[in-house]
Amino acid sequence: MAGASSCVHYLSDFCCPPGGRAAGKPHVLRHEAEVFLSTGREFVYVYDQEGGLLTAVYQFPDQVWHLQLLALRRALYVLCARTGIYCLSLDSPRRSASQACEDTEDEAHPCPVIHVDPDACVLPDAALCAFTVLDDVLVALVQGPTQWKMQLFERPYPGEEPQPGGQIGEVELSTSTPPGGVPGKLAAPCFLPVLCCVFPPGSRAPHGHPQGCGCLVLEEALFGLLFGVDATLLQSPVVLCGLPDGQLCCVVLKALVTSGSAPGDPKVLVKILHHLEEPVVFIGALRTEPYPEEAAADLPPGENEHSDCMVALGHQGRTLAIKASWSASGNLVPELREYCLPGPVLCAACGRDGHMYHSTPSNLCVVDLTRRDIPWNTEKPDEATGGLPPVLCPASLNICSVVTLCVSGAPTGSTELLALSSKGRLITCSLDLNSEVPMPAKMTMANAGQKIKELLLDIGDVSERVSFLKKAVDQRNKAITSLNEAMNVSCALLSSQEGGRPISCTITLSWSRLELRDMLLATCTLENSSSFCLDQGWTLCIQVLTSSSALDLDGAGSTFTYTIPVDRLGPGSRREVTLPLGPSESGTLDLPVTMSCWLFYSLREVVGGALAPSDPLEDPCLESLPLNLPKQEGVCLPLCKRTVDMLQCLRFPALASRPTQAPCVPGPACDPVETFLKTCQGPGSEPTGAASLRAKYLPPSTASIRVSAALLRAALEDSRSGSHLCSATLRWLLAENAAVDAVRAQALSSIQGVAPDGTDVNLIVHEVAVTDLSPAGPIQAVEIQVESSSLANMCRVHHAIIRRMKGSTLQLPTYSCVPRRWSQSKQPEAPAHPTCACSTYTRSMPTTRNCFVKCRHCVTSCARRMKSALAPQLRSSCRFTSSCATLALSCCDQLLASSGRCGTHFRLSIGACLATPFTGTSAAS
Amino acid sequence: MSSQVVPALPRPFSSNLDLWREKNDGLVGQARQLTKDSRSSLRRQQLAQDTLEGFGELLLTLQGLPAAVPALPLELTIICNYIILRASLAQDFTEDLSQDVQRGLERVLETQNQLGPKSQPRLRELWDSVLSASSLLPELLPALHCLASLQAVLWMSTDHLGDLTSLLQTLNGSQTEDLLVLLKSWNPPAQKSLAPLMLQDAEGLRDVLLTSFACRQGLQELVTGSLSRAQRSLHEAASGVCPPSVLVQVYTALGTCLRQMGNPQRALLYLTEALKVGVACALPLLEASRVYRQLGDTAAELDSLGLLVEALSATHSSETLKLFIEVELLLPQPDPASPLYCGTQSQAKHLLASRCLQTGRAADAAEHYLDLLAMLLGSSEPRLSPPTSSPGSCLPELYLEAAAALIQAGRALDALTVCEELLSRTSSLLPKTSSLWENARKRTKELPYCPIWVSATHLLQGQAWSKLKAQKEALSDFSQCLELVFRVLPKDKQGAGSTCEQKCSSDVALQQLQVTALISRGLEWVASGQDNKALRDFLLSVQICPGNRDGSFYLLQTLKRLDRKNEAIAFWREAQTQQPQEEAAWSLPLYLETCLSWIRPPNCEVFLEEFGTALLESCDL
Repeated sequence: MAGASSCVHYLSDFCCPPGGRAAGKPHVLRHEAEVFLSTGREFVYVYDQEGGLLTAVYQFPDQVWHLQLLALRRALYVLCARTGIYCLSLDSPRRSASQACEDTEDEAHPCPVIHVDPDACVLPDAALCAFTVLDDVLVALVQGPTQWKMQLFERPYPGEEPQPGGQIGEVELSTSTPPGGVPGKLAAPCFLPVLCCVFPPGSRAPHGHPQGCGCLVLEEALFGLLFGVDATLLQSPVVLCGLPDGQLCCVVLKALVTSGSAPGDPKVLVKILHHLEEPVVFIGALRTEPYPEEAAADLPPGENEHSDCMVALGHQGRTLAIKASWSASGNLVPELREYCLPGPVLCAACGRDGHMYHSTPSNLCVVDLTRRDIPWNTEKPDEATGGLPPVLCPASLNICSVVTLCVSGAPTGSTELLALSSKGRLITCSLDLNSEVPMPAKMTMANAGQKIKELLLDIGDVSERVSFLKKAVDQRNKAITSLNEAMNVSCALLSSQEGGRPISCTITLSWSRLELRDMLLATCTLENSSSFCLDQGWTLCIQVLTSSSALDLDGAGSTFTYTIPVDRLGPGSRREVTLPLGPSESGTLDLPVTMSCWLFYSLREVVGGALAPSDPLEDPCLESLPLNLPKQEGVCLPLCKRTVDMLQCLRFPALASRPTQAPCVPGPACDPVETFLKTCQGPGSEPTGAASLRAKYLPPSTASIRVSAALLRAALEDSRSGSHLCSATLRWLLAENAAVDAVRAQALSSIQGVAPDGTDVNLIVHEVAVTDLSPAGPIQAVEIQVESSSLANMCRVHHAIIRRMKGSTLQLPTYSCVPRRWSQSKQPEAPAHPTCACSTYTRSMPTTRNCFVKCRHCVTSCARRMKSALAPQLRSSCRFTSSCATLALSCCDQLLASSGRCGTHFRLSIGACLATPFTGTSAAS
Repeated sequence: MSSQVVPALPRPFSSNLDLWREKNDGLVGQARQLTKDSRSSLRRQQLAQDTLEGFGELLLTLQGLPAAVPALPLELTIICNYIILRASLAQDFTEDLSQDVQRGLERVLETQNQLGPKSQPRLRELWDSVLSASSLLPELLPALHCLASLQAVLWMSTDHLGDLTSLLQTLNGSQTEDLLVLLKSWNPPAQKSLAPLMLQDAEGLRDVLLTSFACRQGLQELVTGSLSRAQRSLHEAASGVCPPSVLVQVYTALGTCLRQMGNPQRALLYLTEALKVGVACALPLLEASRVYRQLGDTAAELDSLGLLVEALSATHSSETLKLFIEVELLLPQPDPASPLYCGTQSQAKHLLASRCLQTGRAADAAEHYLDLLAMLLGSSEPRLSPPTSSPGSCLPELYLEAAAALIQAGRALDALTVCEELLSRTSSLLPKTSSLWENARKRTKELPYCPIWVSATHLLQGQAWSKLKAQKEALSDFSQCLELVFRVLPKDKQGAGSTCEQKCSSDVALQQLQVTALISRGLEWVASGQDNKALRDFLLSVQICPGNRDGSFYLLQTLKRLDRKNEAIAFWREAQTQQPQEEAAWSLPLYLETCLSWIRPPNCEVFLEEFGTALLESCDL
């Protein structure tokens, strides 16, 4: 193939439609010196190649999808989208008759545009998608609502009114995927089916069908092998059909006869040959082996050669080749091979000597299907010369984006390609595939100018192609570089531990005054301490998940996701993003808020650009091409997650050194009770007003949580360092609050804070002795008391404290603080179990009942042992006990939440006591 | 600042309503005109498509507005017209038609404020809630009943009979489960004279439903064998509104039914009625041939088959443009197993030819077979060359049957031509004979696969030569046949075969082919006086198929002739212990049966009996 030399001539320019394949399917046919051409628009051009001029332009009502020429009858059949099949008689005087209505707008055409008369429509059917014409019949493929239908008609002649009974046969092709589109209003299919007619060698072959007209002659063995004995005996043409879903099926034409009471049975009539798994774009046939000498002599000149190999091409380049061969035992067996050629395939054509041409947006390639390792003119043709090559090596012809192709043999033995480029340029390309580089012809004065013009055009062609390819290569290089970086970053992030990540994101909280309101701002700092650069394609995503209500902590809240493109974050640099968390206009801030940060790498953004065509005109096919990307559109790398709860958002104006920044309470008084109290207050009432009334009638809600001191001490061991336990507890609780330094400095054990909505929250920590839990005597405990005038805020703080406890109790070391006597008497041999108790008491009996009813299901589900404690009594106080501290805490939390959900404003005081009576077997001995 | 209150139904709306109504009426008129139109079908189809689009646009306009009670009758009418036109143009019911119905129902519910949350209720529930709505306007009822009848059509076409029954129960207010009764008692309210025009009213659709349901049910019962019920249903169908083509089918089905019930004479009466209808006489003719076959009237049977061939040769009548939903649209297409499937001309011709051969009219059979082959192969016009897709038959077998008929008719030379034609046309597909012999010599394990009909062809060729008294050629062909028939491989090795091969390569057929070939060659040896070779072949045939009468007969005869009494007695004793084969169970290809009839000795039973007694006597002595 190295010797392939080509010579390109430019013929003419035609307007091609902007847009891709959906805009139509171009076709080019040649018959002697006449070239028939459709560019995908509604025009069909007739071009005289010898004279180098357009002889006729026909305009159809819609895009032209297919052309076929019956040369002997001088009839051109044209499939017009959503309209039907037209038949033009090329010699009829109609041409001049309808010239009156010429189109002056289209000045590009020197000859008048002939509007095709609707009467020329010989087969109207809006659902027609493909057809092929034989001598006396016409095979059409119609898109039904769920299936493709193949219909057989008597061939309508030009100017002849279609006979109503002209349909001879019909059969449904079984198709697994129904073609899309709404019947009646058919959307243009993305891929059209391919029809092609195969003749057995002895039959009255299709006379006057120019090559590339969808008519093939297969040699007997392959024909019989593919289509069966019956087709061979009948000498019937067979219609091959390649469907957009990849099916390749065949119908024996002589068998396709139906009558009213005998519909075509697909099981008998349709045979599925293969499934290509991608839209079939081309079906053709080749001669890959030399004729035996006696047969070659018999072959009349100009007759279609009998091909011995059938090929079908899929859109992505998957190629099927079928050949008949004899097995060692003398049986006829099909040899079937699948190849992968570079795709997407725009068009293809079969040439002589086993060559097949196929065009992609970037190249026109020729492949050789003969076994070149076995010489063509072999001495002993009887030996097993056959067989298909194990691989196909496409050789480039250096012509890009050819959308339609027509192959013909020149008398000199070379091959001539007639091609239409995507820009509408009609070119011929003479190939001499076997000879050496041809000698330059002798230059004469007369043809020098012409020669130079051609050379310049060639240069233009090549440079156009070079620039296109360069652009594509650059884009791909960039994409590959970016992908490499992304790979490195992903590896670095995924392989490192939580602490020492090369790329980290930290979230800090701060209060700031924005637009006359205090806002809680979260600052996410993305720091790149790796050696890689976060470039195009990377996005920082921050998801903020708020709980819908403080009283319903499990309910789904609202989610916001912020995506911030990371635009070149080099090594060592950092980027800060500040997000306002609230409170909103109405003053509410639905805590807790969970913030998660992750890095997203968009494959589509990086790779999609390289795969997509840079210029839609260049690659009409690529638009509809699904990108070969994995299902996910990118890579997601989680960075960090943080829950912002009430304890982190409390502000302590009393602690501030200068009381300048009093928190600005949001405008509307959100508490209806407050409003009510204010309106109650008459003009002559006490000066203290609302505050005293509130103090009198609405004492703050209180919750208290008791934790075993020993347990707490163990949990806080590292930070205790001699200081008072209460203060340490408070410091632990407020560790993520800005006020923690002040707490440490002043060793506070109680603190008065302000919630984001302005209500006060008091935290009091003191030590108590719990007597009723353990029979061994009082247990030293720390009681954390939460007071707030707002039940909701109290619940939020309680939830935050419980959350911290869950976090710390889970990490507790095994610990023993209970006298040995108790453990021995109760559980002498039992393994270690921490026992926890949470108790709850409210003042209102009905509320308690309500709460218990509401939370029973969760209580029973999580801690079975509580059932006995719960069910019989509806006292105003209740205790949960569970072998698992986390469960007990959860129950308590649940109860609180559901009691808050009751809606009545009541005084609630909750105590949770967590003790760790624990015994190990070692301690018992 | 006071905001302007927009009235619920602005004034222009009612005048628009009139406008839309006029448009609907205009489109309906246009469609009705089209059916009477004498213009070319192409133009009419285009115009019908335009009309359909007109309805579609009108519907879009109306459904773009909020549902309002005054506009609802018109809207439902347009939906009905749209569905009717679309289904009859496409000659098919698609899924989205029922979506159109659903949208209409939802619009009705919208005006009733009953449209619940978008939970996509099933159509059946939608119908229930629409029909149970208390505040339905009486002027809405005609359109609603029309929509209901379309829904019934859609459900019937998709076999959702349960839904259909419950819908009709709600419409009728009755509880019976019998769909026929329900359809009969359904009385849709008449259209008001001022109402918007409808392409087909509810009553007309009801009649269509009634006939097609009765017809479908009757055919189904016919297939399942409940004949008296089938007869009742078919009578019901025939008495309803029945277009001629359906009437022919119904009468034919009644004929089939009566034939199966054992009333051939009454069946013939119905078939005559069917023929009198005047359209599509192929079906009743085919059925008539079956009746005559049952009656044993071969001449009449063949006559009707001949007429059937003629009837099928006529191109079927031109189809007129149908713009209404008709009974045919709701009848399922007959599949090849159905009694209402009449096949193509070539299938009828094949039936005629094979019946001629089976009934002993060999000369006619040969002519018919030759006609058939000429029809299939000679003409280039596929219109006249229909398929042989009848199950179980394939072209090679057709050739073989033709050859057998020719031999039977005494035209052995013609038979030879037919066989040669078959072999030459398929020569490229057959295994290379050179390698065949080579493999045999090399004793390669892998034998080439050879279709069974190739050996059968050689068998027939041998028979033809034998009839021509060319013993040498006959022997060579029989030998070739045997050579090949013992190479027929198990079924999984089939390569270039066609579907029919599964049938004819059944083990019994293969065995019988082997036996026939052996006996044929044996007879040929006998004729040339080489009794020993003949004996070997006869013996082999009996070994292959123990209990075979023909083989036993020839073996004994030859042994007797050679005066090898002891062997004969031993064989006879052995054969007595074996059960004769049950012949009725076989279904052999017709050509093989014909072949078997040639080699069958004329008075085999008598001979065997005589032989037996003679032998016993000789033993006793």
